[in-house]
Amino acid sequence: MTSFIQSVLFGLTIGGILYIISIGLSLTFGAMGIVNFAHGLIYAVGAYAVYTVATILGAGFVVGVLAALAVSVPLSYVIERFVIRRLYGQSIDYAIIATYAILLIGADSLKWIYGASPLPIIDPIGKLWTFGSLQMPAYRVVIIGLSVLIFFGLSLFFKKTLVGKIVVAGLQDREAVRSLGIRVEKHFAIVFIIGSALAALGGVLYAPLSTLNPYMGFEILVLCFAVVIVGGMGNLRGTAIAAYSLGLVHSLSAAYIASSASDAMVYTVMAAVLIFRPIEA
Amino acid sequence: MLLSVENLDVHYGPAQVLYGASLHLNEGELVCLVGRNGAGKTTLLRTIGGFMRPASGTITFRGDRIDGLLLENVALMGIRYVYQDKRVFGELTVRENIELAAYPTGESLDEAISKVLAIHPKMESLLDSKAKGLSGGERQILLIGRALIGNPQLLLVDEPTEGLAAIIIGDIIKILLKMKNKITMVVVEQNLATVARLADRLYVMKEGCVSREIVDEQTIKNPSCYEDEL
Amino acid sequence: MFGKVENNPTLTLVFTAAIFLIFGYATSLPKITDFMIFCIFVIGFDLLYGHMGQLSFGHMLYLGAGAYGCGMFAYHVYPDPFLSLLAGVLLGALVAAVLGPLVVKTSAAAFALLNLALNEVGAYLVLSPWHKWTGGEDGLSLFFKKYGFINFQQSTFRFYFCLGSLLLVVYLVLRLVRSPYGNLLKAIKENEVRVKFLGYNTYVYKYITFIISGAIAAFAGALTSINLSYTNTSLISPARNVEVIFAALMGGAGSVIGAVVGGTAFMTISNYLAVYLIRWEMFLGFALLVFVFWIRKGIWGYVRKV
Repeated sequence: MTSFIQSVLFGLTIGGILYIISIGLSLTFGAMGIVNFAHGLIYAVGAYAVYTVATILGAGFVVGVLAALAVSVPLSYVIERFVIRRLYGQSIDYAIIATYAILLIGADSLKWIYGASPLPIIDPIGKLWTFGSLQMPAYRVVIIGLSVLIFFGLSLFFKKTLVGKIVVAGLQDREAVRSLGIRVEKHFAIVFIIGSALAALGGVLYAPLSTLNPYMGFEILVLCFAVVIVGGMGNLRGTAIAAYSLGLVHSLSAAYIASSASDAMVYTVMAAVLIFRPIEA
Repeated sequence: MLLSVENLDVHYGPAQVLYGASLHLNEGELVCLVGRNGAGKTTLLRTIGGFMRPASGTITFRGDRIDGLLLENVALMGIRYVYQDKRVFGELTVRENIELAAYPTGESLDEAISKVLAIHPKMESLLDSKAKGLSGGERQILLIGRALIGNPQLLLVDEPTEGLAAIIIGDIIKILLKMKNKITMVVVEQNLATVARLADRLYVMKEGCVSREIVDEQTIKNPSCYEDEL
Repeated sequence: MFGKVENNPTLTLVFTAAIFLIFGYATSLPKITDFMIFCIFVIGFDLLYGHMGQLSFGHMLYLGAGAYGCGMFAYHVYPDPFLSLLAGVLLGALVAAVLGPLVVKTSAAAFALLNLALNEVGAYLVLSPWHKWTGGEDGLSLFFKKYGFINFQQSTFRFYFCLGSLLLVVYLVLRLVRSPYGNLLKAIKENEVRVKFLGYNTYVYKYITFIISGAIAAFAGALTSINLSYTNTSLISPARNVEVIFAALMGGAGSVIGAVVGGTAFMTISNYLAVYLIRWEMFLGFALLVFVFWIRKGIWGYVRKV
């Protein structure tokens, strides 16, 4: 029973991270209809940034987090301005291929700078919390809490701020928003940058749970696509539910079937959803 | 002359929908576009509004060419399009719908709301309801109200009474009559009796062309005169 | 000049054969054999992408199906090369036929990702639960029977067999693309709704194309197994999907010759450039960007105007 609860809690941890990373992808998908592979690059850059600042420079984890967020903003701005914005009037396929190319370039750059071997980061909190017979690294609980906070923060953003409302309206009916004289694209760009910063944060949070490698952007992306597809593009609440559910699928499959099955089970769910609930994309 | 449309050719994908359509508009007029379904009325209206780019021909507004401009820029010039299918931002409240419309014009939210309430005081009780809960008539009124925010120069109204109950149609006609002479309007309308009440002038459209202009008041008030030309 | 080549199937075949014969004898027969097999894969992929306008991020699944169909038949049943080839193609067609009805319903981004997801699932199944039959991580080592001069162990024979296969595929696909069926595909790519309004069941056409595309990819996969004398998980790896996408784009999507040009160009880069340039993946990324932004029609699209 204890190990079941452990698995569930780990599933929620993964789910929390998946949510933080995927929400940006979901909004871009919903707003622009683009599958943004470069999102995985920003995630990886976030992780490597925290590694550089915290481990190599020794400035501490928190500074590392700030560095990761700081790096993600100009990087995502450049990607949006020079690649995505140019391509989204046109066939979606080109945007998909172009963002994939960016991910490829980025991954190879990371390999160049840091080498191909996996790099570890230590748990920044390093304490265990005990709750009866349950033991859980405090760090994981923090992640779950943070993801919930971000969920509420984003909900508030979309309900109360003007930018948020424009984006909600724009997701529903882009043309009508434009016909009011509002430049929807600029507002989607703001959301794109916020989403990318969250991806970097996701990379930061994930790093101590595993190791860093230059291809980590590719690996996480397919899982994120699963979350976005199952949750519905541009759907805040759906993405959250999908993220935690798939996180649970992942960790429970790892525990009760085989660890190699965990990814595959997530993909199976995604394939099933795509088949039975086809999306117009 | 406020608006001049010359020889518009518009294609929808590979198919041509407008063939050399032309019309003009003077300040303060209410001009109606009539014609059968598929004659090209909505396409013409939307092309003027900036939703579509003509393959050839020109659209001149206050002396400036506006064909081919981005939709946002056409809107910022004061040309407002009132949607045919009563499309409001359903997930936002009425107040928020107005807020979005006010934002690019720089008008304060209170002023914007008062403009909408001026044409339909009953809207006040609906301000905080989600727009998707509104009835068809209420949505149409909201759309018209939204178009009045800021400093509108030209209203393009697409079939405002379509699908609405007779009483509501009456309300909307009253609103449009109140706005007449205060703001220039082009109204696409299938119901010729409504056209008779509203129009200063009208254009008949047939198979993608503007086939006839009717200026004579008597003819306008007697649709049976021109009905069979549709 | 190049335009003329394209319009005449015989000229195309002669041209193709000549190029590969020259290349083969100038460099190395085994290497060019790899090139030709990859070109078959690209042609299969491009039928879906260039001709029908559907980008799949998981076409390796069908290459893998062909490779494993062939390999498992040769390993577990009977090591006859032709029967194994047939088994590979049939397995690929079968997988496409089974998954097709569900996949073809989707389009654009969903189509791209669904195929990726199915590829990942397939790769997992081959690696883990089915490893008793597939050889799991180690794969399967294969031997094929010889019949007189039909000896797949010989590089010269393999070269000519694969050249013949490539020419056959080029011929068949060229015929297909120039037929009324091919014109319909082009129309669907441009404006599916319009084609539906004309009364065609576009779903069925997309489905059939999907199966054909899968079968050709599987053929390439089966040839790979025979060529390498082994089958392993790299032949179904989702990470390699970018190779065929790049080749199709680079060569010129929507044209059979373009697919061959792209396949050759890509293999040249990955085989020769990779030796001299460590950062060749970065180069690939930049090259992809160049093609997406500036050379949309690919090399062949550019050259044929000469």
